Amino acid sequence: MNIDPYNAVVRAYFDCPEHMGDIGGGAVAFFEDQGMRIRLSAKVVDGKIKKLGFRAWGCPHVIAAAEAFCRQFEGRSVAELEEFKTSQIMGDLAVPVEKTGRILVLEDTVRSLRAAIQDRITNQAQD
Amino acid sequence: MPGSSDFVYMDYAATTPLNSLVAERMRTVQNSACFNPASNHIAGRQSAKVVMQAATELGLLLNVSPDSILWTSGATESNNLAILGAARQRAHRGKHLITMRTEHKAVIDVFRALEKQGFEVSWLAPKPDGQLPVERLISTLRDDTQLVSIMHINNETGVIQDIAALGAACKERDVLFHVDGAQAAGKIPVDLAALPVDLYSLTAHKFYGPKGVGALFVANGTPLEPLMFGGGQQQRMRPGTLPVDLIAGLGVAAAVATTSIADDLAKLTGLKGRLLQGIQDIEGLQVNGPAKGGYPGILNVGVDDVDGESLLLAMEPLCVATGSACNSRSQEPSSVLRALGRTDRQAQSAIRFSLGRPTTAADIEMAISSYRHAVRKLRALAPERPA
Repeated sequence: MNIDPYNAVVRAYFDCPEHMGDIGGGAVAFFEDQGMRIRLSAKVVDGKIKKLGFRAWGCPHVIAAAEAFCRQFEGRSVAELEEFKTSQIMGDLAVPVEKTGRILVLEDTVRSLRAAIQDRITNQAQD
Repeated sequence: MPGSSDFVYMDYAATTPLNSLVAERMRTVQNSACFNPASNHIAGRQSAKVVMQAATELGLLLNVSPDSILWTSGATESNNLAILGAARQRAHRGKHLITMRTEHKAVIDVFRALEKQGFEVSWLAPKPDGQLPVERLISTLRDDTQLVSIMHINNETGVIQDIAALGAACKERDVLFHVDGAQAAGKIPVDLAALPVDLYSLTAHKFYGPKGVGALFVANGTPLEPLMFGGGQQQRMRPGTLPVDLIAGLGVAAAVATTSIADDLAKLTGLKGRLLQGIQDIEGLQVNGPAKGGYPGILNVGVDDVDGESLLLAMEPLCVATGSACNSRSQEPSSVLRALGRTDRQAQSAIRFSLGRPTTAADIEMAISSYRHAVRKLRALAPERPA
């Protein structure tokens, strides 16, 4: 039996969500399901994710997962977003299996963010 | 409270710490009189005397004869014995039973089990403040109704039911009346000589006694079918060797409560008032339960747009509860709050502060500041829905 439902990573990310907030003028994605809401925003320069921000409504695991995503993908290329799967975050945060559906909301939001970034790149190219 | 330097405890409806007099008495009994009270030798008789003293102390708290008390392992067992025992005993007369949607799981699940065994259960809904109007009960009673079970104080909202009126309605129609008194015994005055109650469940650990022991008051002549077999103890109603030290602890907890209830209630009323005053200006704050009155040891509140589980973590090291303590780890919104008309989202944001004898004014100030900070933080985190 897990005495503490949250591991040290969840506690640290929940206590100090460094990426909490919105990146002004960047690509934005919002997704809502399972009673959870996540918004991601990103500033992209030359195909690289310079800054990521999030807002989330949900349990501590959802908030920590959004923070974990931002920490992992800031500085990486947009193309790498294709590889994002929640399985690694689920492991890192020791998310209980019954919360899988909630964490998958993050995967859906990341997919929307990738699409939003592509739209902006396409629009900028057309301009 | 021992070990309390790391946290501020405000979950006294879940359980209470041992009173020091209780611990002292239990230690003495463990060292000198912890034998089998059913044995016919001197040691056994010494233990029987300890049990009798505890029954007298509990009898004084409830204003009943010590002979009307059955010892159990706690309120869950008492509820099971009362409801299953009474329903099965009277099944030949009828199979209709009545309870409320806002009962504790230890009652709800027993009625669910009886439904599977062919009984019909009417699940009464309360008013939005949690109260059950007696007319609602009267209009549900039928010729074949055998048992009504209503909790005295709701563990989540602190609502106090009108046991006298509800019991009188049952008595008029020769229907047995069981009351789950887990949150009431030792906390508010309970006079079972005056109340029309046939069966009353309680547990020691809710009023500063030990865990693992409880009692069921059985009014004279109330027929019950036992759930367990295997010994002649307690008139064969609840066999098994009695835990003398735990029973002694329950007795002392009852004796302490008898003398301190009035002071406890006065103190808790002041503390709850200050707690509510300190948070009531938070935008969207809702009190779940009666706006006025109710048990002063419980304050259940919710706010818009904040998740209860996150709220709980953001308030650490303050120890409070979301939903009832028994299912705080569950993802399900509280069925009690849903029955009061709250939405899933509102029920999910609910926090129960439960205060107790050791709660101080400084604890309340810490709780106010902690709750305000946590709500602010989580609201700042939450995204707006796109227009």
